[in-house]
Amino acid sequence: MYYPEPISKLIDSFTKLPGIGPKTAVRLAFFVLNMKEDDVLDFAKALVSAKRELTHCNVCGHITDQDPCVICQDQSRDDSVICVVQDPKDVIAMEKMREFNGRYHVLHGAISPMDGIGPDDINVPALLNRLKDEQVEELILATNPNVEGEATAMYISRLVKPSGIKITRIAHGLPMGGDLEYADEVTLSKALEGRREL
Amino acid sequence: MYIKNIKLQHYRNYHELALTFDDRINVIIGENAQGKTNLMEAIYVLGFSKSYRTSKDKELIQWEQSYAKIEGTVLKKHYQVPLEMQFSAKGKKAKLNHLEQRRLSDYIGALNLVMFAPEDLNLVKGSPQMRRRFIDMEIGQIKPVYIYHLGQYQKILKQRNHLLKELQRKKQHDLTLLSVLTEQLIEHASIIIEKRFSFLELLRQWAAPIHQGISQHKESLTINYDTTIDVLESYNKEKIKHIYETTFSQNQRKEIERGTTLFGPHRDDLLFYVNNRNVQTFGSQGQQRTTALSLKLAEIELIKAEVGEYPVLLLDDVLSELDQHRQSHLLNTIQGKVQTFISTTSVSDIKHETIEQAELFYVENGTITQQRRG
Repeated sequence: MYYPEPISKLIDSFTKLPGIGPKTAVRLAFFVLNMKEDDVLDFAKALVSAKRELTHCNVCGHITDQDPCVICQDQSRDDSVICVVQDPKDVIAMEKMREFNGRYHVLHGAISPMDGIGPDDINVPALLNRLKDEQVEELILATNPNVEGEATAMYISRLVKPSGIKITRIAHGLPMGGDLEYADEVTLSKALEGRREL
Repeated sequence: MYIKNIKLQHYRNYHELALTFDDRINVIIGENAQGKTNLMEAIYVLGFSKSYRTSKDKELIQWEQSYAKIEGTVLKKHYQVPLEMQFSAKGKKAKLNHLEQRRLSDYIGALNLVMFAPEDLNLVKGSPQMRRRFIDMEIGQIKPVYIYHLGQYQKILKQRNHLLKELQRKKQHDLTLLSVLTEQLIEHASIIIEKRFSFLELLRQWAAPIHQGISQHKESLTINYDTTIDVLESYNKEKIKHIYETTFSQNQRKEIERGTTLFGPHRDDLLFYVNNRNVQTFGSQGQQRTTALSLKLAEIELIKAEVGEYPVLLLDDVLSELDQHRQSHLLNTIQGKVQTFISTTSVSDIKHETIEQAELFYVENGTITQQRRG
Protein backbone atom coordinates (compact mmCIF):
# COMPACT_ATOMS: atom_id res chain seq x y z
CA MET A 1 0.00 0.00 0.00
CA TYR A 2 2.98 2.29 0.47
CA TYR A 3 4.34 1.45 -2.97
CA PRO A 4 2.90 2.10 -6.42
CA GLU A 5 1.54 -1.14 -7.82
CA PRO A 6 4.31 -2.01 -10.33
CA ILE A 7 7.00 -1.98 -7.69
CA SER A 8 4.94 -3.75 -5.05
CA LYS A 9 4.33 -6.51 -7.62
CA LEU A 10 8.07 -6.72 -8.22
CA ILE A 11 8.74 -6.90 -4.48
CA ASP A 12 6.18 -9.69 -4.18
CA SER A 13 7.90 -11.61 -6.96
CA PHE A 14 11.29 -11.37 -5.30
CA THR A 15 9.85 -12.61 -1.99
CA LYS A 16 8.92 -15.84 -3.75
CA LEU A 17 12.61 -16.70 -4.21
CA PRO A 18 14.30 -18.83 -1.54
CA GLY A 19 16.43 -17.01 1.01
CA ILE A 20 14.88 -13.63 0.22
CA GLY A 21 12.86 -11.91 2.92
CA PRO A 22 10.77 -8.74 2.66
CA LYS A 23 13.68 -6.34 3.28
CA THR A 24 15.97 -7.88 0.69
CA ALA A 25 13.07 -7.96 -1.76
CA VAL A 26 12.57 -4.20 -1.37
CA ARG A 27 16.29 -3.59 -1.83
CA LEU A 28 16.42 -5.72 -4.99
CA ALA A 29 13.28 -4.13 -6.44
CA PHE A 30 14.67 -0.62 -6.01
CA PHE A 31 17.95 -1.75 -7.51
CA VAL A 32 16.08 -2.95 -10.59
CA LEU A 33 14.49 0.51 -10.95
CA ASN A 34 17.95 2.01 -11.30
CA MET A 35 19.23 -0.57 -13.77
CA LYS A 36 19.62 0.19 -17.48
CA GLU A 37 16.55 -0.82 -19.44
CA ASP A 38 18.53 -3.23 -21.65
CA ASP A 39 19.86 -5.05 -18.63
CA VAL A 40 16.39 -5.35 -17.19
CA LEU A 41 15.08 -6.75 -20.46
CA ASP A 42 17.90 -9.29 -20.65
CA PHE A 43 17.19 -10.28 -17.10
CA ALA A 44 13.49 -10.79 -17.79
CA LYS A 45 14.24 -12.75 -20.96
CA ALA A 46 16.73 -14.93 -19.12
CA LEU A 47 14.10 -15.79 -16.53
CA VAL A 48 11.51 -16.71 -19.13
CA SER A 49 13.84 -18.68 -21.36
CA ALA A 50 15.29 -20.62 -18.43
CA LYS A 51 11.79 -21.70 -17.62
CA ARG A 52 10.57 -22.29 -21.18
CA GLU A 53 13.57 -23.76 -22.91
CA LEU A 54 14.86 -26.09 -20.25
CA THR A 55 13.47 -29.58 -19.94
CA HIS A 56 14.64 -32.76 -18.29
CA CYS A 57 16.81 -35.02 -20.38
CA ASN A 58 14.87 -38.14 -21.32
CA VAL A 59 17.85 -40.37 -20.65
CA CYS A 60 19.41 -39.11 -17.44
CA GLY A 61 16.94 -36.56 -16.07
CA HIS A 62 19.44 -33.71 -15.97
CA ILE A 63 18.19 -30.22 -16.90
CA THR A 64 18.92 -29.42 -20.53
CA ASP A 65 17.93 -27.28 -23.49
CA GLN A 66 18.34 -30.16 -25.92
CA ASP A 67 17.17 -33.72 -25.55
CA PRO A 68 19.17 -35.88 -24.90
CA CYS A 69 21.46 -33.58 -22.93
CA VAL A 70 25.04 -32.67 -23.85
CA ILE A 71 26.48 -35.21 -21.43
CA CYS A 72 24.32 -38.05 -22.74
CA GLN A 73 25.23 -37.12 -26.36
CA ASP A 74 28.95 -36.91 -25.70
CA GLN A 75 30.53 -39.93 -27.46
CA SER A 76 33.81 -39.63 -25.60
CA ARG A 77 32.22 -40.46 -22.27
CA ASP A 78 32.44 -43.84 -20.62
CA ASP A 79 29.16 -45.73 -20.99
CA SER A 80 30.09 -48.35 -18.46
CA VAL A 81 29.78 -46.12 -15.40
CA ILE A 82 26.67 -44.29 -14.18
CA CYS A 83 26.76 -41.90 -11.26
CA VAL A 84 23.39 -41.55 -9.50
CA VAL A 85 22.71 -38.17 -7.87
CA GLN A 86 19.70 -36.53 -6.23
CA ASP A 87 19.74 -33.15 -7.90
CA PRO A 88 20.81 -31.45 -11.17
CA LYS A 89 23.04 -29.22 -9.02
CA ASP A 90 24.92 -32.35 -7.97
CA VAL A 91 25.74 -33.06 -11.64
CA ILE A 92 27.19 -29.55 -11.96
CA ALA A 93 29.25 -30.10 -8.82
CA MET A 94 30.60 -33.37 -10.20
CA GLU A 95 31.32 -31.82 -13.58
CA LYS A 96 33.28 -28.95 -12.03
CA MET A 97 35.61 -31.56 -10.61
CA ARG A 98 36.54 -32.71 -14.17
CA GLU A 99 37.52 -36.10 -12.84
CA PHE A 100 34.49 -38.14 -13.70
CA ASN A 101 34.04 -39.21 -17.28
CA GLY A 102 31.03 -41.50 -17.00
CA ARG A 103 27.31 -40.85 -17.37
CA TYR A 104 24.84 -39.51 -14.83
CA HIS A 105 21.40 -40.28 -13.59
CA VAL A 106 19.44 -37.60 -11.73
CA LEU A 107 16.74 -38.82 -9.32
CA HIS A 108 15.17 -35.46 -8.51
CA GLY A 109 14.70 -36.30 -4.85
CA ALA A 110 15.11 -39.06 -2.32
CA ILE A 111 12.79 -41.69 -0.90
CA SER A 112 10.79 -40.38 2.03
CA PRO A 113 7.52 -42.18 2.90
CA MET A 114 6.70 -39.40 5.37
CA ASP A 115 6.50 -36.90 2.53
CA GLY A 116 4.73 -39.36 0.29
CA ILE A 117 7.79 -39.91 -1.90
CA GLY A 118 8.24 -43.55 -2.85
CA PRO A 119 10.74 -45.11 -5.30
CA ASP A 120 8.35 -44.58 -8.22
CA ASP A 121 8.03 -40.87 -7.48
CA ILE A 122 11.71 -40.28 -8.11
CA ASN A 123 13.55 -41.22 -11.28
CA VAL A 124 14.22 -44.84 -10.24
CA PRO A 125 12.15 -46.76 -12.85
CA ALA A 126 13.97 -44.92 -15.67
CA LEU A 127 17.29 -45.89 -14.07
CA LEU A 128 16.31 -49.56 -14.01
CA ASN A 129 15.33 -49.41 -17.69
CA ARG A 130 18.65 -47.82 -18.53
CA LEU A 131 20.50 -50.58 -16.75
CA LYS A 132 18.62 -53.20 -18.79
CA ASP A 133 19.47 -51.62 -22.14
CA GLU A 134 22.92 -50.14 -21.68
CA GLN A 135 26.18 -51.91 -21.03
CA VAL A 136 26.73 -50.64 -17.51
CA GLU A 137 29.45 -52.18 -15.37
CA GLU A 138 29.43 -49.88 -12.38
CA LEU A 139 26.77 -47.84 -10.61
CA ILE A 140 28.07 -45.13 -8.29
CA LEU A 141 25.50 -44.06 -5.71
CA ALA A 142 26.18 -40.43 -4.84
CA THR A 143 22.99 -39.53 -2.94
CA ASN A 144 23.30 -37.25 0.08
CA PRO A 145 24.69 -38.71 3.32
CA ASN A 146 21.48 -38.24 5.34
CA VAL A 147 18.68 -40.61 6.32
CA GLU A 148 16.71 -40.24 3.08
CA GLY A 149 19.72 -40.25 0.76
CA GLU A 150 21.09 -43.30 2.52
CA ALA A 151 17.75 -45.13 2.25
CA THR A 152 17.58 -44.30 -1.46
CA ALA A 153 21.09 -45.63 -2.05
CA MET A 154 20.37 -48.83 -0.14
CA TYR A 155 17.09 -49.30 -2.00
CA ILE A 156 18.67 -48.96 -5.43
CA SER A 157 21.48 -51.27 -4.48
CA ARG A 158 18.97 -53.96 -3.39
CA LEU A 159 17.20 -53.76 -6.73
CA VAL A 160 20.29 -53.74 -8.89
CA LYS A 161 22.54 -56.15 -7.01
CA PRO A 162 20.99 -59.35 -8.51
CA SER A 163 21.93 -58.17 -12.00
CA GLY A 164 25.61 -58.44 -11.11
CA ILE A 165 26.43 -54.80 -11.81
CA LYS A 166 29.11 -53.47 -9.48
CA ILE A 167 27.57 -51.00 -7.02
CA THR A 168 29.62 -48.47 -5.10
CA ARG A 169 28.72 -45.75 -2.60
CA ILE A 170 30.74 -42.54 -2.40
CA ALA A 171 32.85 -42.28 0.75
CA HIS A 172 31.91 -40.21 3.79
CA GLY A 173 34.45 -38.55 5.97
CA LEU A 174 36.74 -35.65 6.55
CA PRO A 175 36.79 -32.62 4.28
CA MET A 176 40.13 -32.09 2.55
CA GLY A 177 42.32 -29.32 3.87
CA GLY A 178 40.56 -29.49 7.23
CA ASP A 179 41.90 -30.22 10.65
CA LEU A 180 41.10 -33.48 12.36
CA GLU A 181 40.48 -31.74 15.67
CA TYR A 182 37.63 -29.65 14.26
CA ALA A 183 35.69 -32.60 12.85
CA ASP A 184 32.53 -33.54 14.71
CA GLU A 185 32.33 -36.96 16.33
CA VAL A 186 29.88 -38.39 13.82
CA THR A 187 31.94 -37.46 10.76
CA LEU A 188 35.07 -38.66 12.50
CA SER A 189 33.56 -42.03 13.35
CA LYS A 190 32.35 -42.40 9.73
CA ALA A 191 35.84 -41.55 8.50
CA LEU A 192 37.32 -44.16 10.82
CA GLU A 193 34.80 -46.74 9.62
CA GLY A 194 35.73 -46.06 5.99
CA ARG A 195 39.50 -46.15 6.51
CA ARG A 196 41.61 -48.03 4.00
CA GLU A 197 44.92 -49.75 3.89
CA LEU A 198 47.88 -47.88 2.46
CA MET B 1 31.70 -26.91 37.29
CA TYR B 2 29.47 -24.02 38.23
CA ILE B 3 27.53 -21.19 36.67
CA LYS B 4 29.11 -17.85 37.49
CA ASN B 5 26.45 -15.59 36.10
CA ILE B 6 23.43 -15.53 33.88
CA LYS B 7 21.76 -12.86 31.74
CA LEU B 8 18.23 -13.13 30.45
CA GLN B 9 16.56 -11.06 27.81
CA HIS B 10 12.85 -11.30 26.98
CA TYR B 11 12.72 -14.71 28.56
CA ARG B 12 9.19 -15.64 29.67
CA ASN B 13 8.32 -13.06 32.37
CA TYR B 14 11.86 -11.62 32.60
CA HIS B 15 12.41 -8.57 30.46
CA GLU B 16 16.05 -8.01 31.42
CA LEU B 17 17.84 -9.85 34.18
CA ALA B 18 21.48 -10.23 35.21
CA LEU B 19 22.50 -12.33 38.20
CA THR B 20 25.76 -13.48 39.73
CA PHE B 21 25.58 -16.79 41.53
CA ASP B 22 27.26 -18.35 44.52
CA ASP B 23 29.39 -21.36 43.64
CA ARG B 24 27.52 -23.49 46.20
CA ILE B 25 23.93 -22.94 47.31
CA ASN B 26 21.56 -20.49 45.63
CA VAL B 27 18.03 -20.29 46.96
CA ILE B 28 15.33 -18.74 44.81
CA ILE B 29 12.42 -17.65 46.96
CA GLY B 30 9.04 -16.35 45.90
CA GLU B 31 5.32 -16.86 45.88
CA ASN B 32 3.77 -18.97 43.16
CA ALA B 33 3.62 -17.58 39.63
CA GLN B 34 6.33 -14.96 40.23
CA GLY B 35 9.01 -16.56 38.04
CA LYS B 36 11.00 -19.02 40.19
CA THR B 37 10.54 -21.91 37.85
CA ASN B 38 11.13 -19.69 34.84
CA LEU B 39 14.60 -18.92 36.18
CA MET B 40 15.27 -22.60 36.85
CA GLU B 41 14.03 -23.41 33.38
CA ALA B 42 16.34 -20.77 31.86
CA ILE B 43 19.34 -22.46 33.49
CA TYR B 44 18.10 -25.79 32.21
CA VAL B 45 17.69 -24.44 28.69
CA LEU B 46 21.21 -23.02 28.82
CA GLY B 47 22.48 -26.55 29.43
CA PHE B 48 20.18 -28.67 27.29
CA SER B 49 19.17 -26.17 24.57
CA LYS B 50 15.51 -26.99 25.16
CA SER B 51 12.97 -26.80 27.92
CA TYR B 52 11.61 -29.65 29.98
CA ARG B 53 8.25 -27.90 30.32
CA THR B 54 7.39 -27.37 26.70
CA SER B 55 8.40 -28.61 23.30
CA LYS B 56 7.46 -25.29 21.72
CA ASP B 57 10.46 -22.97 21.82
CA LYS B 58 8.21 -20.03 21.00
CA GLU B 59 6.70 -20.17 24.47
CA LEU B 60 10.06 -19.15 25.92
CA ILE B 61 9.89 -15.74 24.28
CA GLN B 62 8.33 -12.96 26.32
CA TRP B 63 4.90 -11.79 25.24
CA GLU B 64 5.06 -9.35 22.30
CA GLN B 65 8.84 -9.72 21.89
CA SER B 66 10.56 -11.12 18.83
CA TYR B 67 13.34 -13.06 20.53
CA ALA B 68 14.59 -14.46 23.81
CA LYS B 69 18.21 -14.74 24.87
CA ILE B 70 19.97 -16.56 27.69
CA GLU B 71 23.65 -15.99 28.32
CA GLY B 72 25.76 -17.56 31.03
CA THR B 73 29.34 -18.19 32.01
CA VAL B 74 30.26 -21.67 33.15
CA LEU B 75 33.38 -22.06 35.24
CA LYS B 76 35.15 -25.36 34.89
CA LYS B 77 38.21 -26.67 36.66
CA HIS B 78 40.74 -25.07 34.38
CA TYR B 79 38.85 -22.65 32.18
CA GLN B 80 35.57 -20.86 31.67
CA VAL B 81 33.09 -21.08 28.81
CA PRO B 82 30.54 -18.49 27.77
CA LEU B 83 27.28 -20.09 26.63
CA GLU B 84 24.42 -18.50 24.80
CA MET B 85 21.00 -19.64 23.62
CA GLN B 86 18.81 -17.52 21.36
CA PHE B 87 15.23 -18.14 20.34
CA SER B 88 13.31 -16.30 17.65
CA ALA B 89 10.64 -16.99 15.08
CA LYS B 90 13.39 -18.28 12.78
CA GLY B 91 14.45 -20.96 15.25
CA LYS B 92 17.16 -21.31 17.84
CA LYS B 93 20.86 -20.64 17.94
CA ALA B 94 23.31 -22.20 20.35
CA LYS B 95 26.62 -20.45 20.87
CA LEU B 96 29.58 -21.97 22.61
CA ASN B 97 32.49 -19.64 23.21
CA HIS B 98 30.64 -17.06 21.07
CA LEU B 99 30.67 -19.45 18.12
CA GLU B 100 27.42 -20.77 16.76
CA GLN B 101 27.16 -24.55 16.91
CA ARG B 102 25.43 -26.08 13.94
CA ARG B 103 24.77 -29.33 15.72
CA LEU B 104 23.16 -29.21 19.11
CA SER B 105 25.12 -32.31 20.05
CA ASP B 106 28.25 -30.14 19.90
CA TYR B 107 26.67 -27.74 22.38
CA ILE B 108 25.00 -30.03 24.88
CA GLY B 109 27.46 -31.29 27.44
CA ALA B 110 29.29 -27.99 27.91
CA LEU B 111 27.13 -27.41 30.98
CA ASN B 112 26.20 -30.59 32.82
CA LEU B 113 23.00 -30.37 34.80
CA VAL B 114 20.95 -32.63 36.99
CA MET B 115 17.37 -31.52 37.42
CA PHE B 116 15.17 -32.71 40.24
CA ALA B 117 11.56 -31.51 40.10
CA PRO B 118 8.39 -32.87 41.71
CA GLU B 119 7.60 -34.74 38.47
CA ASP B 120 10.81 -36.69 38.95
CA LEU B 121 9.40 -38.22 42.08
CA ASN B 122 7.06 -40.00 39.69
CA LEU B 123 9.96 -41.37 37.68
CA VAL B 124 9.36 -44.83 39.11
CA LYS B 125 5.61 -45.08 38.78
CA GLY B 126 5.15 -42.70 35.83
CA SER B 127 5.03 -43.60 32.17
CA PRO B 128 7.82 -45.56 30.44
CA GLN B 129 8.34 -42.47 28.29
CA MET B 130 9.54 -40.57 31.38
CA ARG B 131 12.11 -43.24 32.17
CA ARG B 132 13.33 -43.36 28.57
CA ARG B 133 13.69 -39.61 28.60
CA PHE B 134 15.63 -39.84 31.84
CA ILE B 135 18.08 -42.37 30.47
CA ASP B 136 18.42 -40.61 27.09
CA MET B 137 19.10 -37.20 28.62
CA GLU B 138 21.77 -38.58 30.92
CA ILE B 139 23.62 -40.55 28.27
CA GLY B 140 23.37 -37.56 25.94
CA GLN B 141 25.10 -35.32 28.46
CA ILE B 142 27.99 -37.69 28.86
CA LYS B 143 28.23 -38.97 25.28
CA PRO B 144 26.95 -36.34 22.81
CA VAL B 145 27.15 -38.77 19.83
CA TYR B 146 24.28 -40.61 21.47
CA ILE B 147 21.99 -37.66 20.72
CA TYR B 148 22.89 -37.94 17.05
CA HIS B 149 22.01 -41.62 16.91
CA LEU B 150 18.79 -40.99 18.81
CA GLY B 151 17.83 -38.24 16.36
CA GLN B 152 18.57 -40.42 13.34
CA TYR B 153 16.64 -43.27 14.93
CA GLN B 154 13.57 -41.08 15.48
CA LYS B 155 13.69 -39.89 11.89
CA ILE B 156 13.96 -43.39 10.43
CA LEU B 157 11.27 -44.62 12.82
CA LYS B 158 8.87 -41.97 11.53
CA GLN B 159 9.63 -42.94 7.92
CA ARG B 160 9.22 -46.60 8.71
CA ASN B 161 5.94 -46.14 10.58
CA HIS B 162 4.60 -44.16 7.67
CA LEU B 163 5.51 -46.91 5.25
CA LEU B 164 4.00 -49.58 7.54
CA LYS B 165 0.75 -47.60 7.64
CA GLU B 166 0.70 -47.47 3.85
CA LEU B 167 1.44 -51.18 3.61
CA GLN B 168 -1.36 -51.83 6.11
CA ARG B 169 -3.82 -49.84 4.02
CA LYS B 170 -2.44 -51.53 0.89
CA LYS B 171 -1.51 -48.21 -0.66
CA GLN B 172 2.03 -49.50 -1.00
CA HIS B 173 3.41 -52.96 -1.60
CA ASP B 174 7.13 -52.34 -1.63
CA LEU B 175 8.69 -54.79 0.83
CA THR B 176 12.18 -54.00 -0.43
CA LEU B 177 11.76 -50.45 0.81
CA LEU B 178 10.58 -51.78 4.17
CA SER B 179 13.66 -53.95 4.49
CA VAL B 180 15.90 -50.98 3.66
CA LEU B 181 14.30 -48.88 6.38
CA THR B 182 14.50 -51.82 8.78
CA GLU B 183 18.21 -52.15 8.13
CA GLN B 184 18.71 -48.42 8.76
CA LEU B 185 16.62 -48.60 11.92
CA ILE B 186 18.58 -51.54 13.29
CA GLU B 187 21.89 -49.81 12.69
CA HIS B 188 21.00 -47.01 15.11
CA ALA B 189 18.84 -49.12 17.43
CA SER B 190 21.72 -51.45 18.22
CA ILE B 191 24.05 -48.54 18.99
CA ILE B 192 21.42 -46.97 21.25
CA ILE B 193 20.79 -50.21 23.13
CA GLU B 194 24.50 -50.89 23.53
CA LYS B 195 25.08 -47.41 24.98
CA ARG B 196 22.07 -47.75 27.26
CA PHE B 197 23.44 -51.03 28.58
CA SER B 198 26.80 -49.59 29.46
CA PHE B 199 25.16 -46.56 31.07
CA LEU B 200 22.92 -48.79 33.17
CA GLU B 201 25.91 -50.71 34.40
CA LEU B 202 27.36 -47.43 35.72
CA LEU B 203 24.04 -46.23 37.11
CA ARG B 204 23.66 -49.45 39.10
CA GLN B 205 27.12 -49.13 40.57
CA TRP B 206 26.33 -45.68 41.91
CA ALA B 207 22.64 -46.01 42.75
CA ALA B 208 22.80 -49.20 44.81
CA PRO B 209 25.08 -47.91 47.61
CA ILE B 210 23.28 -44.55 47.67
CA HIS B 211 19.93 -46.28 48.05
CA GLN B 212 21.31 -48.40 50.87
CA GLY B 213 22.49 -45.22 52.56
CA ILE B 214 19.15 -43.45 52.37
CA SER B 215 17.24 -46.50 53.55
CA GLN B 216 19.75 -47.08 56.34
CA HIS B 217 20.71 -50.47 54.90
CA LYS B 218 17.17 -51.78 54.95
CA GLU B 219 16.68 -51.80 51.19
CA SER B 220 18.71 -52.87 48.21
CA LEU B 221 18.00 -51.49 44.77
CA THR B 222 18.41 -53.27 41.45
CA ILE B 223 17.70 -51.86 38.01
CA ASN B 224 16.76 -53.91 34.96
CA TYR B 225 16.38 -53.01 31.34
CA ASP B 226 13.08 -54.17 29.92
CA THR B 227 13.22 -54.66 26.20
CA THR B 228 11.01 -56.03 23.45
CA ILE B 229 13.75 -58.29 22.13
CA ASP B 230 15.62 -61.18 23.65
CA VAL B 231 19.06 -59.79 24.51
CA LEU B 232 21.54 -59.94 27.35
CA GLU B 233 23.34 -56.83 28.53
CA SER B 234 26.66 -58.50 27.91
CA TYR B 235 25.99 -58.65 24.16
CA ASN B 236 27.99 -56.43 21.87
CA LYS B 237 26.60 -54.29 19.07
CA GLU B 238 26.97 -56.97 16.41
CA LYS B 239 25.08 -59.54 18.43
CA ILE B 240 22.31 -57.07 19.28
CA LYS B 241 22.05 -56.21 15.60
CA HIS B 242 21.70 -59.84 14.69
CA ILE B 243 18.87 -60.35 17.18
CA TYR B 244 17.03 -57.32 15.86
CA GLU B 245 17.39 -58.66 12.33
CA THR B 246 15.78 -61.99 13.18
CA THR B 247 13.06 -60.35 15.30
CA PHE B 248 12.07 -57.95 12.56
CA SER B 249 12.06 -60.57 9.82
CA GLN B 250 9.96 -62.98 11.92
CA ASN B 251 7.42 -60.29 12.75
CA GLN B 252 7.09 -58.53 9.42
CA ARG B 253 3.49 -59.60 8.87
CA LYS B 254 2.49 -58.61 12.37
CA GLU B 255 4.06 -55.19 11.96
CA ILE B 256 2.24 -54.58 8.68
CA GLU B 257 -1.07 -55.72 10.23
CA ARG B 258 -0.61 -53.25 13.07
CA GLY B 259 0.86 -50.55 10.85
CA THR B 260 3.59 -49.59 13.27
CA THR B 261 7.08 -50.51 14.46
CA LEU B 262 6.77 -52.96 17.34
CA PHE B 263 10.40 -53.37 18.38
CA GLY B 264 13.23 -51.03 19.23
CA PRO B 265 14.56 -48.72 21.93
CA HIS B 266 11.47 -46.49 21.66
CA ARG B 267 9.45 -49.29 23.27
CA ASP B 268 11.86 -50.22 26.05
CA ASP B 269 11.64 -49.41 29.72
CA LEU B 270 13.52 -49.46 33.01
CA LEU B 271 12.38 -51.65 35.88
CA PHE B 272 13.31 -50.97 39.49
CA TYR B 273 13.38 -53.59 42.22
CA VAL B 274 13.72 -53.02 45.95
CA ASN B 275 14.55 -56.14 47.87
CA ASN B 276 13.68 -58.09 44.73
CA ARG B 277 10.18 -56.68 44.48
CA ASN B 278 9.10 -54.43 41.64
CA VAL B 279 8.84 -50.95 43.13
CA GLN B 280 6.54 -49.73 40.43
CA THR B 281 3.76 -52.15 41.28
CA PHE B 282 4.52 -53.27 44.83
CA GLY B 283 6.54 -50.42 46.31
CA SER B 284 5.17 -47.92 48.82
CA GLN B 285 5.17 -44.27 47.87
CA GLY B 286 8.12 -43.82 50.23
CA GLN B 287 10.11 -46.53 48.45
CA GLN B 288 9.30 -45.01 45.08
CA ARG B 289 10.52 -41.62 46.27
CA THR B 290 13.67 -43.07 47.76
CA THR B 291 14.35 -44.82 44.46
CA ALA B 292 13.86 -41.59 42.50
CA LEU B 293 16.16 -39.76 44.90
CA SER B 294 18.82 -42.47 44.70
CA LEU B 295 18.76 -42.27 40.92
CA LYS B 296 19.18 -38.51 40.92
CA LEU B 297 22.05 -38.65 43.41
CA ALA B 298 23.62 -41.46 41.42
CA GLU B 299 23.40 -39.26 38.33
CA ILE B 300 25.44 -36.58 40.07
CA GLU B 301 28.20 -39.02 41.01
CA LEU B 302 28.07 -40.70 37.62
CA ILE B 303 28.60 -37.44 35.77
CA LYS B 304 31.45 -36.59 38.13
CA ALA B 305 33.05 -39.96 37.37
CA GLU B 306 32.57 -39.72 33.61
CA VAL B 307 33.11 -36.03 32.95
CA GLY B 308 35.55 -35.30 35.75
CA GLU B 309 33.52 -32.53 37.35
CA TYR B 310 30.35 -32.31 39.38
CA PRO B 311 27.29 -31.16 37.44
CA VAL B 312 25.08 -28.28 38.54
CA LEU B 313 22.01 -29.41 40.47
CA LEU B 314 18.59 -27.85 40.04
CA LEU B 315 16.05 -28.57 42.78
CA ASP B 316 12.80 -27.09 41.55
CA ASP B 317 10.20 -26.99 44.34
CA VAL B 318 11.17 -30.47 45.30
CA LEU B 319 12.71 -30.10 48.75
CA SER B 320 9.34 -29.39 50.37
CA GLU B 321 8.10 -32.64 48.85
CA LEU B 322 10.75 -34.67 50.64
CA ASP B 323 10.54 -35.59 54.30
CA GLN B 324 13.13 -34.37 56.81
CA HIS B 325 15.22 -37.52 56.54
CA ARG B 326 15.46 -37.61 52.75
CA GLN B 327 15.91 -33.85 52.58
CA SER B 328 18.94 -33.89 54.85
CA HIS B 329 20.37 -36.92 53.11
CA LEU B 330 20.17 -35.06 49.83
CA LEU B 331 21.71 -31.88 51.18
CA ASN B 332 24.45 -33.74 53.05
CA THR B 333 25.47 -35.48 49.85
CA ILE B 334 25.86 -32.31 47.83
CA GLN B 335 27.19 -30.11 50.62
CA GLY B 336 30.35 -28.30 49.72
CA LYS B 337 30.84 -29.85 46.29
CA VAL B 338 27.88 -29.27 43.98
CA GLN B 339 26.54 -25.90 42.92
CA THR B 340 22.85 -26.11 43.67
CA PHE B 341 19.83 -24.01 42.80
CA ILE B 342 16.87 -24.48 45.12
CA SER B 343 13.52 -22.92 44.38
CA THR B 344 11.02 -22.70 47.22
CA THR B 345 8.16 -20.61 48.53
CA SER B 346 9.83 -20.13 51.89
CA VAL B 347 13.32 -20.66 53.29
CA SER B 348 11.97 -21.92 56.57
CA ASP B 349 10.83 -25.09 54.74
CA ILE B 350 14.45 -26.10 54.49
CA LYS B 351 16.03 -27.15 57.72
CA HIS B 352 19.66 -27.67 57.01
CA GLU B 353 22.87 -25.91 57.87
CA THR B 354 23.87 -25.37 54.23
CA ILE B 355 21.10 -22.79 53.95
CA GLU B 356 22.95 -20.59 56.46
CA GLN B 357 25.62 -19.76 53.91
CA ALA B 358 23.38 -19.64 50.90
CA GLU B 359 22.87 -16.79 48.49
CA LEU B 360 19.22 -15.78 48.53
CA PHE B 361 17.24 -14.44 45.59
CA TYR B 362 13.78 -13.03 46.18
CA VAL B 363 11.57 -13.21 43.12
CA GLU B 364 8.63 -10.91 42.71
CA ASN B 365 6.81 -10.56 39.42
CA GLY B 366 9.80 -10.84 37.14
CA THR B 367 12.30 -8.87 39.24
CA ILE B 368 14.84 -10.35 41.59
CA THR B 369 16.53 -8.93 44.66
CA GLN B 370 19.67 -10.60 45.88
CA GLN B 371 20.65 -10.98 49.50
CA ARG B 372 23.53 -12.77 51.13
CA ARG B 373 23.16 -14.66 54.34
CA GLY B 374 25.83 -15.42 56.95
